[in-house]
Amino acid sequence: MTTLTEVPETTAARETPARRRRPVDRLPYLLLLPGSVIIGVLLLWPLGQVVVMSFFKLDNVRQLRGDRDWPWAGLGNYADVLGDPFFWTVLRNTVLFAAANVVLTMILGTLVGLLLNRLGRRMAAFVASCVMLAWATPALTGTIVWKWIFDDTSGLVTWFFNALPDGLSQALFGRTDWTGYGWFNSPLLFFAILTLVVVWHSFPFIAVSVLAGLKSVPSELHEAARVDGAGPWKAFWKITVPLLRPVFGILIVLSTIWDFKVFTQYYVLAGGTQDRPTFMLSVYSYAEAFSPPPKYGLGAAIAVILTLILLVVTGLYVRMVLKQEEDA
Amino acid sequence: MNRWKRLAPVTAVVASAAMVLAGCGGSGDDEAADNSKLTVWMMGEGSEAQTSFLDGVETEFRQKHPDTDVVVQYIPWLEAPKKFQAALAGGEGPDITELGNTETQGWAAQEALADISGRMNGWAEGKDILPDLVKNAQLDGKQYGVPWYAGVRAIYYRTDWFAEAGVKPPTNWEELVSVAKAVQAKKPGTYGLALPGNSELPFYSFLWGAGAEIATKDGDTWKSGYNTPEAQKAVKFWTDLVTVHKVAPPAAAGWNEIDARTQFATGKAAMAFAGSWQQGAIKKDNPEIEKVWGTFPIPGPAGQPAPGFAGGSDLALWEDSERKDLAWDYLTVLLSKKNDQAFADSLGFFPVYQDLVGGDKYANDKVMAAFATTLKSTKLTPLTPKWVEVSRNKTVTQAMNSSVMKGQKTVEKATADAAAEMESILNAK
Repeated sequence: MTTLTEVPETTAARETPARRRRPVDRLPYLLLLPGSVIIGVLLLWPLGQVVVMSFFKLDNVRQLRGDRDWPWAGLGNYADVLGDPFFWTVLRNTVLFAAANVVLTMILGTLVGLLLNRLGRRMAAFVASCVMLAWATPALTGTIVWKWIFDDTSGLVTWFFNALPDGLSQALFGRTDWTGYGWFNSPLLFFAILTLVVVWHSFPFIAVSVLAGLKSVPSELHEAARVDGAGPWKAFWKITVPLLRPVFGILIVLSTIWDFKVFTQYYVLAGGTQDRPTFMLSVYSYAEAFSPPPKYGLGAAIAVILTLILLVVTGLYVRMVLKQEEDA
Repeated sequence: MNRWKRLAPVTAVVASAAMVLAGCGGSGDDEAADNSKLTVWMMGEGSEAQTSFLDGVETEFRQKHPDTDVVVQYIPWLEAPKKFQAALAGGEGPDITELGNTETQGWAAQEALADISGRMNGWAEGKDILPDLVKNAQLDGKQYGVPWYAGVRAIYYRTDWFAEAGVKPPTNWEELVSVAKAVQAKKPGTYGLALPGNSELPFYSFLWGAGAEIATKDGDTWKSGYNTPEAQKAVKFWTDLVTVHKVAPPAAAGWNEIDARTQFATGKAAMAFAGSWQQGAIKKDNPEIEKVWGTFPIPGPAGQPAPGFAGGSDLALWEDSERKDLAWDYLTVLLSKKNDQAFADSLGFFPVYQDLVGGDKYANDKVMAAFATTLKSTKLTPLTPKWVEVSRNKTVTQAMNSSVMKGQKTVEKATADAAAEMESILNAK
């Protein structure tokens, strides 16, 4: 803030040759300033507060206001979280869910990207806009629609299974009447539906990014490969993948970050934070911090643990990618 | 550490952006003497009937305080906890608020509500309020809320379908099952009983009916009643309705009370658990249903109506309010016997005064009679501020029942786990 008011004064006061260079030197920083201030106030500072809060015992809203002491808890919150066997269930859910979703999103996104690259101009534009609609749908709205699709009485999926020939349905699933079926009852089925929703929401971005990457691959390379007798499968692994490695790298890192902290889709599908066997870290943190009675310190500790896990996972992966590039 | 404390108010402000956006009434320190405005938070969407009722209360209140403007703000039930937290964190809140009577102790423990023990003692009409409801608004012997209206749950049923199947409202558990099965068989494609597997309050009627308790306090220690044979009997009966008798579908394991009530309202179920106050919502879904519905008390195992949870709403003075005397004046007008009766009538609730509930007024009402019966034997969830953690955060009872319905645990395992979890929460230091 002070820099802003100082600048005009100094420029006006001095008429030395050095002055001429100074505005040019400062300009980039001045231009960065508004952005940094906003990021600092809205992102970095609250982030720092979360870390600070995770070291205190905070279970009263008045503590946030400063009306009450903040008893120092040291690593107590972390010990509580890590010592609870439930945490390990939550961690397992989070990691398995994220792994499955990253893999499926990447595979589907890449396939659609390849498809878009092969299609003619009009068809590609049509398919791309259809695909982007899923990306453009807000997570909340999209998930509510999915929840309706899986409604136990009037959902499309329930209707579809009811419409199956009774013999087939009986042979495959052991039941013919699907009305009232609990689609969200078993954790496995719940996670399968959640995966469907999350992958549906996130593959378009991957597809379009892969397409952008593909457009930059010189077509001669593929022609040469074809002349040398390489099939599409071989050409993909020997040409496309090595050339697009940086693109895939960044997409995998982004997907990992997104899929580790899925919240909105979970909250809507599960109808809140009641279904503890399917908790993931983001939901667990929210439920501990905000479900009455509030435990802000504990919730903050879980959020910090989630962030650390993300940093380690993405850090390792980025290092791996960089190393491969050096070797190549 | 002091530095962090000083930073804390800023955190709070950032964290409660929602509250800033909502722009709730200002009550800074310098306005301590400002009595021109009284802010009242009411839960729900605010029906026309409620709005016009509150306008009447305001007129009555302003006869004594002509210079005070009463501002009523409606807050959706599910938004209330967030709104309360934001108001507490930011230091700006209402002068009076309504709140669900299961939540009063929790917010009292958060120091959100003012201690009104003294004011209660000096208030003549208040002595007639149902004692169970009064007790439910206490924490450590101090009064933090005044009961405003009361409600219990019963079972709504389709009189036309019952007639077709040739059955009468059941009076014990065995009949409940056979009636549900009979109607379901007569009306293919419907459920005998819309059972909210993911809600705790209707289930407590079965628990108490079987003679079990949720938890009892022995000295300083809470002991859960869930691992008794009586509780296991209740859990078995409740979950068998889905898994064995199949009068409710597997999806019922995830239903809350609104889901279950909607099944009934839309003609998909012959019976449903719901409160008297839900008449309006059911009629909104299906205006025709009024002609073919009836109610009966939730039966106990052997013929006595089961006790019900004494639900309803409390009114409380906000601890940060600068106008508590004024707020109390408003509250006593709102809670006068005359107004309480009028309001309860318009909402399908019961007034909180013993003398108003007892008479013939309800005994002869087609819908309200069943509720009035249950209102004679109500019970409460454990009176401790830690209960809210069992009920709302860990959802111990809901999880216990759902896990059995979903086939994840046996009744023995589910009740033992729930008892252990409940005791560890209630007895935590």
